[in-house]
Amino acid sequence: MNSFSITSSPIDAAALREQVAHPGCGAYASFEGWVRDNQNDRSVTLLEYEAYRLLAEKEGARIVQEAISRFEISSAKCIHRTGALQVGDIAVLVGASAAHRKAAFEACRYIIDEVKKRVPIWKKETYSDGHSEWVGCHACSQTSNRRPDYSRQIALKEIGESGQDKLASARVLVIGAGGLGCPALQYLAAAGVGTIGIVDHDRVDASNLHRQTLYGVDDIGRFKAEVAAEKLFGMHPDLSLVAYPKKLCAGDIEHVFSEHDLVLDCTDDLDAKYLISDAAVLTQTPVVFSSVYQYEGQLHVYHPSNQSGCLRCLWPKPSAAPSCEEAGVLGPVPGVFGTIQALEAIKMITGMASGVEQQLLLINLLDYSVQRISAPRISDCAGACVNVTGLDEWRRKIATEISFDSIDDAVQAGFDVIDIREPGEIDERPLATEKARQITMTRLEAEPALLPVDQQYLIICARGVRSRHLAGMLRAQGIEACSLQGGAAGLPVAF
Amino acid sequence: MTNVTVRYYAVLREQAGLNVEFVETQSSSIAGLYAELSQRYRFSLESESLRVAVNNEFAEWSSSLCDGDTVVFIPPVAGG
Repeated sequence: MNSFSITSSPIDAAALREQVAHPGCGAYASFEGWVRDNQNDRSVTLLEYEAYRLLAEKEGARIVQEAISRFEISSAKCIHRTGALQVGDIAVLVGASAAHRKAAFEACRYIIDEVKKRVPIWKKETYSDGHSEWVGCHACSQTSNRRPDYSRQIALKEIGESGQDKLASARVLVIGAGGLGCPALQYLAAAGVGTIGIVDHDRVDASNLHRQTLYGVDDIGRFKAEVAAEKLFGMHPDLSLVAYPKKLCAGDIEHVFSEHDLVLDCTDDLDAKYLISDAAVLTQTPVVFSSVYQYEGQLHVYHPSNQSGCLRCLWPKPSAAPSCEEAGVLGPVPGVFGTIQALEAIKMITGMASGVEQQLLLINLLDYSVQRISAPRISDCAGACVNVTGLDEWRRKIATEISFDSIDDAVQAGFDVIDIREPGEIDERPLATEKARQITMTRLEAEPALLPVDQQYLIICARGVRSRHLAGMLRAQGIEACSLQGGAAGLPVAF
Repeated sequence: MTNVTVRYYAVLREQAGLNVEFVETQSSSIAGLYAELSQRYRFSLESESLRVAVNNEFAEWSSSLCDGDTVVFIPPVAGG
């Protein structure tokens, strides 16, 4: 007979007594634990017991054995029930038989006291107010039972349960976790967007706090993407938040975009915006673009399946605008635009009309003047958004920065590799290849004709900064040049 | 890397969203394994309030992990 057993069936007290009874015993003591209808003034409607069965049976058996050794009893048994129990059910039963009553009472008490302390069985109570709690784990059960209630947005006919489901299965990538990104992220998370990717290579700085509302003084120095992901996950644990504390570049942006349904451009960097636009066209991913300058902001939505323009349709030639650091900005301005970006994302996910289709929206928050400018796709767009032919052609035409694991890979991809470092730098960290030509940057800047136009070039410097600058310069002259992201520092060294 | 099976019960099961999983851990200690899982699932229980069982027997937190072990983190019990 198992001295301790676990069952999901109703406990039969009479059967246990018969098993423990012994003709030599003059005494039998038993204990029944019942499910009662209240706990700490709360009305209990349901009790669920869960057991780690293998260990519970072992530990329970040990307890009964201890009782048999310590007290002069001839036999004892304990049964514990698991599953959902109603008020009035027997949850646990202990029986002990002995020659005399003292030992029987003491053994019975010992067994139930030890079972309650040591055996891995847990109890979840459900109260009449609907809440439930794992007994003994107060702090935790509160949060695990609170679920967000989206009823207030589901009530909108444009959303409904089906819209909420779409939000829950949506995967949105937010690039930039700063002035625009913080409000955008908060509203996307609050609305229940199921998967949110957060891209930002920057760390929190004290000068960000006046407008980047997810961060406080204690976050200074930490990666924004990580702080944002942690805070939002803490508030909305039913969502999936993924931090990318890095810069996306031509080598990986396509892959990251393909894992999302929609992108929010919350960057303040023009190079990044063009890269985002190009990758969006290539992967056919919609993008909600926004930018802010002092008290004004712009919004425009690129959607592959309508005639909306990509960024290059609107701005074929990059023109640098001062950043927020330089020009100055008040928090609520990016606050408004980031919030609008989240709103446009929600509209797109739930199938609502955008309201700014094929338009650039300009809002001045000083005088609240609003302008709409037509922003259609143009037939000769430099971003090739009208007809995307393929990755290689796109890279040749558009991407300034590219990643390769080795020079051999670059050569195989059709590049002529040029190392523009000074001889001293090359000696210090030579490339593990003979396939790279060495022409210094100074020489190339002076004599760009050294590079015939009909080839595509991969420019390498120490860290990828000078090469990016030079590649840009060469492109401006019609030479197809790319810069190796990260420079020689990311490549294997020759020994 | 150590390959172990981890079983979850009660509140940990609810927070992890699963009953059992095979885990490949960088950690060689039980405490390290719990820290990894706790970060992944955001367990609200600190290791101080848990007991631990390895291969269906109570174990110490300081025990080391071996390949093939089955580990169970035991929240405060409430049987009876």
